Amino acid sequence: MTNDDRFQDLYRKYYKRMVRFYVLSFRVTEEDAEELTQDAFFRFLEAMDEYRGDAEWAYLETIARNVAYNRIRSQKTAKRGAETVDVHDRNAIPEPAAPPEPDYAQREEEALRSKRLRDAIAGLPTGSRECIQLWLNEFTYDEIAKFLKITVDAVKSRLRDAKKILRAKLGDANAFPEVEE
Amino acid sequence: MTTKSELSAANRDLITENRLAIGEPPTAEEVLAYTRGELAPDEEARIRERLIAYPDLVRTLTTPFPEGADPDHPDYLSDHEFARHWKALQKRRHHSDGSLQVWRAFGAIAAAVAVVLGGLLWRAEMQLKQPVAVWEQQDLYPDAQRGIGERPNTLTPHGDSYLLVPTLLPDLADKLRAEIVDAINPSRTVWSSKTLSRTADGSLVIVVPREFLKQGTYRLVVYGITGERQEPLNSYTLRVPAR
Repeated sequence: MTNDDRFQDLYRKYYKRMVRFYVLSFRVTEEDAEELTQDAFFRFLEAMDEYRGDAEWAYLETIARNVAYNRIRSQKTAKRGAETVDVHDRNAIPEPAAPPEPDYAQREEEALRSKRLRDAIAGLPTGSRECIQLWLNEFTYDEIAKFLKITVDAVKSRLRDAKKILRAKLGDANAFPEVEE
Repeated sequence: MTTKSELSAANRDLITENRLAIGEPPTAEEVLAYTRGELAPDEEARIRERLIAYPDLVRTLTTPFPEGADPDHPDYLSDHEFARHWKALQKRRHHSDGSLQVWRAFGAIAAAVAVVLGGLLWRAEMQLKQPVAVWEQQDLYPDAQRGIGERPNTLTPHGDSYLLVPTLLPDLADKLRAEIVDAINPSRTVWSSKTLSRTADGSLVIVVPREFLKQGTYRLVVYGITGERQEPLNSYTLRVPAR
């Protein structure tokens, strides 16, 4: 089987599923997903001659993730350099009127409560904090385990510890019923 | 009772705060090294911390990657679909080759220019490191002190440099500064020295590369500096003859 044959086989097998992978996982449009998929295959094709392993699909996976990573990373960094609008610019699109706000005392109380929660998370032991931060961002136990390179049982254990510490710190014995006991 | 959504909101604020301290997300190369376990423990912890501040990026690493479709599955590209996508990929490939060739040509020209400039620079540096032969010392006498019908100090048209020695009365100032101006248009300064401490014997020696002064008439002005005050001590009219 020549390099071209191997590439075409992978292309046929993975093209549609990679497009779906990008659409569902990274919330991009179908068009963008096709662009990312072509980009990934293009990079794979360019690097294929230098690849010496058998598991080409694994190599393709690395490249596909890399392409997604670079795209999202560039969006994150581009946002920092985004143009600003002069507040006195008459052509600037006016902001819609703000909804009625809670009164000052209520806002103050909410800000204090938010700070207490932030401090409580930040003060957790590193392992537990990493687990709970990822869990709060809707990562599954499997995904957390994969990212932190630990077992699912270790993830559950660290989350339980985090929950215990947070409950004690916040003086709230019934907090976060969502965490598995 | 504190809920998960409340804690999630606080976590989002915490992440926003952390990003300011942590800075840019890790590069793709750093992340690849992280996933392959190629980093030292402290470096790995640092990359992990920076990634947690960008959950979308963590998702690119953790989302399960699909398996390839079997040939009889609808996800497997048909011949028609394959031909269409394949054509687009080939187009991109050729476009990239074209761009690459332009860049390669540009790179080759830039490299050639760099080699030539490098060579010239090397030669100039080597020349600076070599001893310079000065044919003879030019003792300069101040204007209005060279007698009736005085002529400018004519510079000897030999050698690579002129060695100018303006005659000065000793102990006129603590420090000196010299300037060469165009004699026809004195507002055009050709060269100006930094402030020079006066030597023990009060002499001043100026080496001027021969190439520096074109044919014409110039005036060398020597200033004396005492404290905050600067005043011209002498001026010397110089004539640079044709070569």
